Amino acid sequence: MTSVRPVVAGRTDRARHQRPAPPGATARRGRGARRSERLAPYVLLAPAVLIIVLLRLWPLLLGVNFSFTGDGDRDGTMVGLDNYRELLADPLFRGALRNVGLLVLLLPVAVAIPGLLATFIYLRVPGHRFYRSVYFFPAVLSPVIVGAIFNLLLAFDGPLNTVLGGVGIGPTDWLGDPDVAMFVVVGVHVWATFGMALVVFLAGFATLDATLLDAARVDGASLPQTIRHVIVPSLSRTIQFVFVTTMIGMLTSMFGLLYVMTSGGPEGSTYLPEYYIWIQQGQMNRPALASAASTVLFGVMLVVGLLQISLLRRGVREA
Amino acid sequence: MKQRTVWPAILVAALVLGGCGSASGTRSSPGGSAAKLVVWDWKSGEATAAQYIEKAKADFARKHPGVTVEFVAQPHDQYYTLLGTAIQSGKGPDVILFNGGGQIRDRADALLPLDEYVAEDRQRLAGWDAFTKDGKTYAGPVTLQGHPIYYNRALYEKAGLDPAKPAATWPEFVANCAAITKQTGTKCFALGNKEGIGIQFFLSAFGSGVLTPQEYDAWIAGKRDWTSPHVKRIFALWKETQDAKLNSDGPNSTAMFNDAFAIFQSAKASHVIGLMSDIGHWKDFGEFLPADKIGVMRAPVVVPGATPSLPFDGGIGYGVAKWTRDPKLAADLVRSLTSTDALTAFHEQAGAIAADTTIDVSKGGPAVTTIVTDLASGKPALHVALSSRTLDLMGRVSQKLLSGSITVDEAVRQLAASDQAG
Repeated sequence: MTSVRPVVAGRTDRARHQRPAPPGATARRGRGARRSERLAPYVLLAPAVLIIVLLRLWPLLLGVNFSFTGDGDRDGTMVGLDNYRELLADPLFRGALRNVGLLVLLLPVAVAIPGLLATFIYLRVPGHRFYRSVYFFPAVLSPVIVGAIFNLLLAFDGPLNTVLGGVGIGPTDWLGDPDVAMFVVVGVHVWATFGMALVVFLAGFATLDATLLDAARVDGASLPQTIRHVIVPSLSRTIQFVFVTTMIGMLTSMFGLLYVMTSGGPEGSTYLPEYYIWIQQGQMNRPALASAASTVLFGVMLVVGLLQISLLRRGVREA
Repeated sequence: MKQRTVWPAILVAALVLGGCGSASGTRSSPGGSAAKLVVWDWKSGEATAAQYIEKAKADFARKHPGVTVEFVAQPHDQYYTLLGTAIQSGKGPDVILFNGGGQIRDRADALLPLDEYVAEDRQRLAGWDAFTKDGKTYAGPVTLQGHPIYYNRALYEKAGLDPAKPAATWPEFVANCAAITKQTGTKCFALGNKEGIGIQFFLSAFGSGVLTPQEYDAWIAGKRDWTSPHVKRIFALWKETQDAKLNSDGPNSTAMFNDAFAIFQSAKASHVIGLMSDIGHWKDFGEFLPADKIGVMRAPVVVPGATPSLPFDGGIGYGVAKWTRDPKLAADLVRSLTSTDALTAFHEQAGAIAADTTIDVSKGGPAVTTIVTDLASGKPALHVALSSRTLDLMGRVSQKLLSGSITVDEAVRQLAASDQAG
C-alpha cells in the first residue's frame, strides 16, 4: 500500500497548478477522479496478484483436486480419499516419510560440521586459507557428478573398502545395505553442500566482537569453553539461518543424489517423497496418486516451514 | 487522471493475453505433405545406425522417386512424452519408431493397422507379437530383444571345460561354476540388481528351465499361478545363487547398466544375462572380449520336464500414424526400413539381432549364431508379461531376498498380491 502514496501526493501537487473549473464540472470530474483513484491500487496490484493466483495458487488447487481423482480406468472420476488411503497403506511411502523424519533428526549434525570447521578457520588453525577454499569446492559440483564420484569410491570393490580391508576391517556394502545406505547418502549430501553453510558461518564470524574472544583467552578459557560461552551465543542468529537453509536443502535437493547413488534402493530404504512422486508419475503412470503424494509433501513442508518461521521470529525477539 | 488507470489496465491485459498466447504458441506441424514423409525415432542420430538409415532411404527412393523422407531423431528419454503431445494434437510424424509391448499397445489408437501392407514380410521377419494388439499389427519389427545367458569361453577353457558344451542341468552348471572359480578365481554370475533389473533378467533367462511348457505359456497368457511350486522355485533359485556365492560382490549396489556388464567384460565373472540388441550384447562385450570368446547357452534344466528356450520379444519397430495422408506410401517406408539390406547393415554396424531371420550372421561369432538358431524355438520373456508396478515391487523384493531379510514364501506372496491386483 505504501507504493500508492506517492501517486496521491503527485496528484495533489499537480492539482494545485490547475486552473479552477466551473463548480458543476469539478464535481463531475471529482467523482470520476475519485473512482479511478479508488481503482488505481487494484489495477496496479493486478499483475502481481494475477501471476500468483494463475500460476501458483490455481495450479496448486488443481493439483489438490486432481489428487481426489483416480488413475487408469478410473481416470477423471472422483474417488474421494482413495489415493490417500493407498499412500498410507504403501510401506514405500511410509518409509519415505520416515526418511524425512530421519533428515530432521540428522539436521544438527549437518549444521554442526560447517560450524565447527568455520570456527577452526576463524581461529586460524595452520593452513586455514587453504581449507577455506577446499571446503567450499564441493559446493560448485552438481549432485549428479558428486553422486557419480561417490558411486565409484563406495562401490563394493571400490577404494574405500580396499583401504578398510588393508587395516583389517571387512568390506561394507555402503550403497547396498539398507541399514547404511540412507546415512551414506545424507553424509555425501552434507559433504557436497556444507561449503555454503561454512561461508555463511564465516560471514557471521566477521561480525563477532574480537575483544570478547581476547577477554576469554585472557581469562584462560579452553577451546570448548570459548565455543560454548562466547562463539555460540554471539552467532545464534547465524546458526538459526543455517538451520533453516540446511533443512530446506535437505528436503528439496536430495533427488539428484538419490537418483544417481541408490535409485531409492536398496529395498526401497532411501526413498524420499520427491523420489516416490517421480516414480509414481513417470514410471508407474499414476499421476493422481503422485499428486496425492505431492499434496502430503506440501503439507509436511508447510508445517516444517511454519515451525522454522516461528523459531526465527522468536530468535529475532530474543536477540 | 484516467490515464493512470488506463495504462496499467492495458499492461495487465497485455500480460494476461501474452501469457495465454505463449502457452499455446505457434506450433508448426511436422507432418509432411504427400510428397514428404516425416519419421520420428531415437536411433537415426546414432553413428551405428547411419548405414541402416541410408540403405532404407535408398530402397525407398528406388520405389518412390520424388518423395522426400525426413528423419527426426528425438532424445530417447523424452521420446514418448513428445510423441504423446503429437498424438494429442492429431498431427505429427507419418512413421514412428516404437518399443514393442506396452509402449506401442498403449498408443495403438493413434496408429494404422499394417496387416494388409506387410503380408509379404510375415515369414521373413520375427517378433510381430510385440507389435500386435487385438489381432492387428501396428508396426514392422526392426530388432529383437531378449535375454541370452552369455558365457566367457576363455574362462571355460582355463578351467578345463569344453566351451562348446555348456551345462544342460542346474547341478552340472553349479559344478562348472565351482570348477571355474577354483581355477580362475572368478565368480559365476556378473549381477547388477541396484535398479532391480537383475531379477527381471534372471526370471526370464532361467524361467524356462524351471516352469513346464504349459506353465510358461499360461504365464505369458496372463494366467499366472503364483502358488505353483515351480514359480516359487525360480525365486528360491535366485536366493540360492547368492547363498552359494555364485554372484559378483555387492549385487544390490551394482548397476546392471553397465557395471555388471563391465564385470563380465573384464573377465571377473564367467556368466552374465545380457540383452540381444542396443546395449549389453555380444558386440558391446566385443570391446574387451573378442566375439569368438563369447558363448551363449540355454537355461540349464532345474526341474525335470522343463524345456529351456530363448526368451525374446520384438525389440523396436516402425509404425504408421493414423493421420498420414497416404497410408500406402508410409507403409512402404516401413517395409524399406525392415528390408533385408537395411537390417543387414544394422546388424553388422550396431550388432543388433535384427528381426530378419534370413540375414547371414556367421561373421558375428558363435554367440550370435546360437542366438539366431535359438530364435525358432524361442518364447516371449516372462518378466515382460508383468505390469510395471509388479516389476518395481519385484526389484525391491529381490534385493531383500539377496540380503536375506525376507523369505521366498513371503516374496512370492507379495508378488502374487501385486500381480493379481492388476
